[in-house]
Amino acid sequence: MDPSFASNYKKQEMKALQLMKYGEIKDSLAFNEISKPTVQVNDVLIEVKAAAINPIDKSLVLGNLQGMLPLTFPCSVAYDVSGVVVEKGNDVTRFEIGDLVYARVPQEQMGTLAEFVAVTSAAVSKKPGNISFEEAASLPLAVLTTLQSLEYAGIKANDTILIHAGSGGVGSLAIQYAKAKGAYVYTTTSTTNVDWVKELGADRVIDYKTEDYKSIVKDADIVFDTLGQHYTAEAFEVVKKGGKVVSVVGPLDEECAQMFGMADYKLPEEIAKLSAAKEATYKFIFMHPNGAHLEEIKSLIEDGKMKPIIDKIYPFNEAIDAYTHLATGRAKGKIVIKMA
Amino acid sequence: MLEEFIKQIKKSISLSSAAEAYLLSISKQQVIPKGETLLREGHTVQKIYFVMDGCLRSFCTDKNGKEHTLQFAIKNWWISDYIAIHNNEPATLTVESLTESTVIAFNAKELINLPTLFPEFEPYQRHNLERHVVSLHKRILNQLQLTAAERYDLFVEQYPNIEQITRNYHIATYLGITQESLSRIRVEKAKT
Repeated sequence: MDPSFASNYKKQEMKALQLMKYGEIKDSLAFNEISKPTVQVNDVLIEVKAAAINPIDKSLVLGNLQGMLPLTFPCSVAYDVSGVVVEKGNDVTRFEIGDLVYARVPQEQMGTLAEFVAVTSAAVSKKPGNISFEEAASLPLAVLTTLQSLEYAGIKANDTILIHAGSGGVGSLAIQYAKAKGAYVYTTTSTTNVDWVKELGADRVIDYKTEDYKSIVKDADIVFDTLGQHYTAEAFEVVKKGGKVVSVVGPLDEECAQMFGMADYKLPEEIAKLSAAKEATYKFIFMHPNGAHLEEIKSLIEDGKMKPIIDKIYPFNEAIDAYTHLATGRAKGKIVIKMA
Repeated sequence: MLEEFIKQIKKSISLSSAAEAYLLSISKQQVIPKGETLLREGHTVQKIYFVMDGCLRSFCTDKNGKEHTLQFAIKNWWISDYIAIHNNEPATLTVESLTESTVIAFNAKELINLPTLFPEFEPYQRHNLERHVVSLHKRILNQLQLTAAERYDLFVEQYPNIEQITRNYHIATYLGITQESLSRIRVEKAKT
């Protein structure tokens, strides 16, 4: 894209949404004028065209993640972005000024709800050419979670998979990704969402209000747990012997806990027992930024095998309302903030 | 391949040896790997390409970040950003290779000045320009008056085998329809 289109890139100051303290959304978030980020040798500076928020963004505001991800205030917020490259570090070879890109930025570069964000180029991919900035911004965190979970599970043609919460931000992408890989997909959702979840390609949509998924799904190769609580343990009832349970919300597995420095962590006994009884693998997936994975998704989107699903687009000056909407937990698809 | 290019030109005009030597001196054969960007939106345009083999695409990006394909260039087509060259402004188009392609690259100014130095090129360039205008007029009229299915039929006729080379979204963004509509058109055609 014409760099002159990236209109503000000569400015030194920029507007950003920042978290001032932990607490209620309206009390804790504020728009501030701050310095534009500078690029390190491997960074690109993106003029933000659209950003998106995810459940983790709400948890950060409320202070629920202080233990794992301590923040210093004020702190710029949000991880998902799509925009135009307006500057690049000396060692960046994969991108040119004017490239249209999307990314889930790493924790230390958080702050996509701003006019500009500096991002390590390894986390960045060119955006799919057939979708808008808003659609592209809706993808990274949810789609990386999906790809990394299902890739870990080794999903392949003719596998059967149960994906919980098919209408959720991750579930709706996971259905499409699993179908693109040729799997047979069971998913759960509520009555009102049955039809549109079917349209995403799910083979058997289970209305959890009228049907018991445990009597329908038998011997699944993979269970993708996006709900946690009792659903994590129940996954072992429906997974096949030697199958895989991957979770993005259940308890950490021991390997993952060690990564976070919890050397003496033990998997909860119930999960350990159930998993051993089924000779099944249990894995907690902690999504990590990855530009190469976003390249793979770019192809699937451009080939029409996956499409982004947006609940609502807010203008930047209403970004705090977007958080309030996110907090209701009722969004069907992603909540996106458009910059200009 | 340069010889083949000269031979083709000689089919429509007679070339003096001086003109031929000059043309060869400003022609640069390049093999472009698949997926490479030759011209980039926002950048200065210095080259015009003649396609000997392969397939290239020119497209622009709208303010929402979506691509719109202007042209596919297959064997014997010219491709560049003529808006940028004519108006002396940054490119509004990006040109990329969809397959490994062999092109002859010309410095735009040198190519445009060719008839000034060697008037025998004038009818050749005029003929190319007319062919280009005809193609654009047809494309505009088709867009205005034909159904998406009719435009698809003409597209396949004009660019045989291109569906094996291009991605669906390239074709959809050329025809100005969604990928879903393109799939529906193909399904309907398969039934007949």
